Amino acid sequence: MPAYFLEIAIVLLGLGLLMVDAFATTLDRRLLGHLGIAGVAAVLAGLVFGVDSSASEPLWGFYATDTAALFYKGLALVCTLLVLVLALEYAPVLESYRDGRPGRRGLGEFLCLPLFLCAGLMWMASMTDLLGLFVALETVTITFYVVVAYMRRNLGSLEAGVKYLILGALSTGFLLYGLAWLFGLTGQTNLAAIQTVLVDWKGDTTPLLFTMALLMVGLSFKVGAAPFQFWIPDVYQGAPTPITAFLSVGSKAAGFIVLIRLLEPLLASPIRHAVLLMLGVLAGATLIVGNLAAISQSNFKRLLAYSSIAHAGFLLMALAAGQPAGGVSPNGVVALYLGTYLVMTMLAFAVLVIVRKAGGSDELTAFNGLSQRSPFLAFALVLAMASLAGVPLTAGFFGKFFSLVLIAGAGQWALLTVAVVAAACGFYYYFKVIRCMYWNDPVSEAPPLVFSQLTRVAIILLCVAVVVLGVYPKPLTCLLAP
Amino acid sequence: MTALLPATILFLPLLAAAKILLLPKPMKGLAPAVSVGSVVLTLILSLVLWAKTGSDSTTVTLGSWINLGDMLQLNIGFKINALATGMMLVVTFIGTLVHLFSLAYMKDDDGKARYFAGLSLFMFSMTGIVLADNLAMMFIFWELVGVSSYLLIGHWFEKNSAAEAAKKAFLTNRIGDFGFMIGILMLWKATGSVTFDGIESAVRGMTVDPGWLTAAILCIFCGAVGKSAQLPLHVWLPDAMEGPTPVSALIHAATMVAAGVYMMIRVSFLLALPDAATAAHVIAWTGGLTALFAALCATQQNDIKKILAYSTLSQLGYMVMAVGLLAKEAAFFHLFTHAFFKALLFLGSGAIIYACHHEQDIWKMGGLARKLPRTTLTFLIGTAALIAVPFVTSGWYSKETILHAAHAHGGLLFYIGAGTAFLTAFYMTRLCVVAFLGTPRAHGADHAHEVPKIMLLPLVILAVPSVIGGFSFFAGRFLTLPPADHDHASHVPMIASLIALASGVSLGWLLYRGRDRDPVRISLLARKFFIDELYASLVSWGQDAVARIIHYVDILIIDGLGVRGLSGLAAVVGGGLRRLQGGNLQAYGFLFGCGVVVLLFIALSLH
Repeated sequence: MPAYFLEIAIVLLGLGLLMVDAFATTLDRRLLGHLGIAGVAAVLAGLVFGVDSSASEPLWGFYATDTAALFYKGLALVCTLLVLVLALEYAPVLESYRDGRPGRRGLGEFLCLPLFLCAGLMWMASMTDLLGLFVALETVTITFYVVVAYMRRNLGSLEAGVKYLILGALSTGFLLYGLAWLFGLTGQTNLAAIQTVLVDWKGDTTPLLFTMALLMVGLSFKVGAAPFQFWIPDVYQGAPTPITAFLSVGSKAAGFIVLIRLLEPLLASPIRHAVLLMLGVLAGATLIVGNLAAISQSNFKRLLAYSSIAHAGFLLMALAAGQPAGGVSPNGVVALYLGTYLVMTMLAFAVLVIVRKAGGSDELTAFNGLSQRSPFLAFALVLAMASLAGVPLTAGFFGKFFSLVLIAGAGQWALLTVAVVAAACGFYYYFKVIRCMYWNDPVSEAPPLVFSQLTRVAIILLCVAVVVLGVYPKPLTCLLAP
Repeated sequence: MTALLPATILFLPLLAAAKILLLPKPMKGLAPAVSVGSVVLTLILSLVLWAKTGSDSTTVTLGSWINLGDMLQLNIGFKINALATGMMLVVTFIGTLVHLFSLAYMKDDDGKARYFAGLSLFMFSMTGIVLADNLAMMFIFWELVGVSSYLLIGHWFEKNSAAEAAKKAFLTNRIGDFGFMIGILMLWKATGSVTFDGIESAVRGMTVDPGWLTAAILCIFCGAVGKSAQLPLHVWLPDAMEGPTPVSALIHAATMVAAGVYMMIRVSFLLALPDAATAAHVIAWTGGLTALFAALCATQQNDIKKILAYSTLSQLGYMVMAVGLLAKEAAFFHLFTHAFFKALLFLGSGAIIYACHHEQDIWKMGGLARKLPRTTLTFLIGTAALIAVPFVTSGWYSKETILHAAHAHGGLLFYIGAGTAFLTAFYMTRLCVVAFLGTPRAHGADHAHEVPKIMLLPLVILAVPSVIGGFSFFAGRFLTLPPADHDHASHVPMIASLIALASGVSLGWLLYRGRDRDPVRISLLARKFFIDELYASLVSWGQDAVARIIHYVDILIIDGLGVRGLSGLAAVVGGGLRRLQGGNLQAYGFLFGCGVVVLLFIALSLH
């Protein structure tokens, strides 16, 4: 089976579920979510077992099926699966912020839209053509605009939507301008063809540098790198929590695959050192901003937002190293980092969704005494926080470790120092959450924490993944080879 | 051989522990059955492994664990030879009997499931230490036995002394383990490998800097000092007796504390290097001094378990001394026999304590020989082995080999060994005379009655290897016996130990027969040379001094120059970031534009 059947299957699944939502008026909308989960799981199985990447591709030229593409497709599918589980759990909150009679408050569409996001992310992973890349990216971004503002009676959600729309459009403009320059300079839209032109670039490098800066602006926005990270805390806080999770994992992964694909020709061109330096500057600024600002946060969702900025800093740092070191390659480290980041971030958001549903608040105080209210959830969140901080024997350790190995191998000691200090800061604000859960007493009459068996299974699997990948990273380290 | 069999032996107890923890509350009653089942099965599989291995030495790999290219390649591998299979049999055999004993001993305990999960976790960790083919894996399991020991010592954590003892054991071990870890890293740096085979072939093929090698060996030895409770890190073991008695028998007498000795035997090829003579010397003296010191302390203890704990320290000292004297066969031989008779003595003391309604003071016992005839008999067999009654006990043979090694080496260590043998005979006679003879001195001993059969059974079974464990027809099957050198064998060690035994027993008999109170009071020994007090004051004094210095450094340098500056900077930056993050969309757009300008400026200035 060619790989692009998977995207087609996901789109058909999404359209089918929308039809069901439109015509089967008496149906419990949750069923759509369950069907979506089953469908995504089936496509995931197809990706793992059924894809024949060596088959001749009728879409050749702008559709790659290399290992990286397949890995990021898998990442998108797993992410979507977990987001759907969270969305089902979050449904009562969502419906309380929508108009209409019960059962007709748009839950069905909310459960279908992540599928279109998923399809966009999967296309993006494969695109090797400027046009295709841009269309895929915008499919994702525009869908995000819709779902971020989905809770129409919630001012925060609306505000987040507006901010995301305007700033997103601004950044897209810069990205598109950069792509146009790239096309103008080389006369090609295919990345491989662009690379052949740029390798032998003899002319003035000023237009190349200009193009590079424009592309960096657009993509820094997508991955949440400083100084284009301003939207992240506000949008993350306002958006429905499952969507925040999707943004912080899926959108970031998408940004990085595009960044890797677009930088490849530039890194082969005469301006290679400038690209690496620019990445290093962005990485350093992002690490500092993300970690320093996270320290003073008292809202868990904003904390996770800054944490996602901080992680983007580590990812950019891996890319800024520019060369393999110690048997690991920058692109491999980014893939491994994103894989582990998915697991631990989703775990944190899963617990947040449940606590938010019960307590009506995202503040850190809502987590006070969680160890007494639900030892299971508290333990899961401890694992997530330890992993996000990068404690050894949790999944999060290896990503940070390898990005430090890379940057040390490249001899960029200033950046290494910043990263080590940033990682140390991380311990403070992640462990603040643990302190809330275990040291503080719960507010009296704290409502019981209820969640479905499906969510419980998902949380258990994520916990197992955090520990297993921390102890036995073999399944992911195969990505690392240069 | 495939890695399947050792892997099964390793992971079976872990599965049991996990299963017990996951059992729903009403089914916690199944916990003992799961745990006992797993340990019996591992005993059978260990026998199979022993039979299949014979005298071969193989390394099998279960799979790659961490592969970082040229930097480091770690496998989950097992190094299986006669040493490992012999140790496995000791661990699983005694483990099985202790599990059985615990069935009765812990029958009415509320935390029974937790207890058995802890035992299974311990069996898993100990198996990992025994089978691991590299130091990194061994270190992880090393820490895991530390954890399970912590959990089991602190089993009755509501009791303050138990919680304190657990903490003390864990922290003291941490000191040793830190050295162990540094030693592993030093060896890795020197040889580029952490597997036993890799290190061995590396040190054979090249010369390591003697100073570096000595430091590495001594750092690794730190781990053994912590785990096998040698001077000066011995303080945790006597306190660890706060745990349930079967745990003391399994972990703090027979197996875990012997892990340090076992590990040193595993890396004994390092000690045999000509450059390592200094390190070997230090190790031998550490062992010898520990043996003597602990035996001295044991003579003035009144708690039956404390006496046995100090006797364990002393016997471990013998083993470490043998390792240092490059007599690794003698060390393992003594480890082997000691495991049986010391487990027997501890389980016996458990039975006595149980029978006397949890009375541990030997001066409140007395006349137990009539009340508990069978327990007394097995306890006396264990005692006979410990004090090395010639020719008919296992302890005689193994202790002889160590004394022979010391004698062959020459110098003071042999006299220390012989002196320890005298003290051993003395304090064990004291214990037996006071506890078993005379008349009951307290209510508990007066109402003691024979323990249930399931507690008696392990005692009887352990009595058998305590007697025959030293005979070459038996021990020779399970381990490599030290080479007997009949031509040059001196009779001095044998005569010395016979004199030590005779004088020790008679002195103990004469002093303590018919006494109701201790006629000898040496507070220096009773208070264990004041080492605990010394450490406590040293720690508090040292902490105060260091704290004072750090305080001034803090105020003058860090606060004055560093933090004020840095924290001020962080506050300014944080405040600035906060102000920027005002939520105003127009401001965000403006900042976005500024960012674009900055990026373009940087990019174009790189031209």
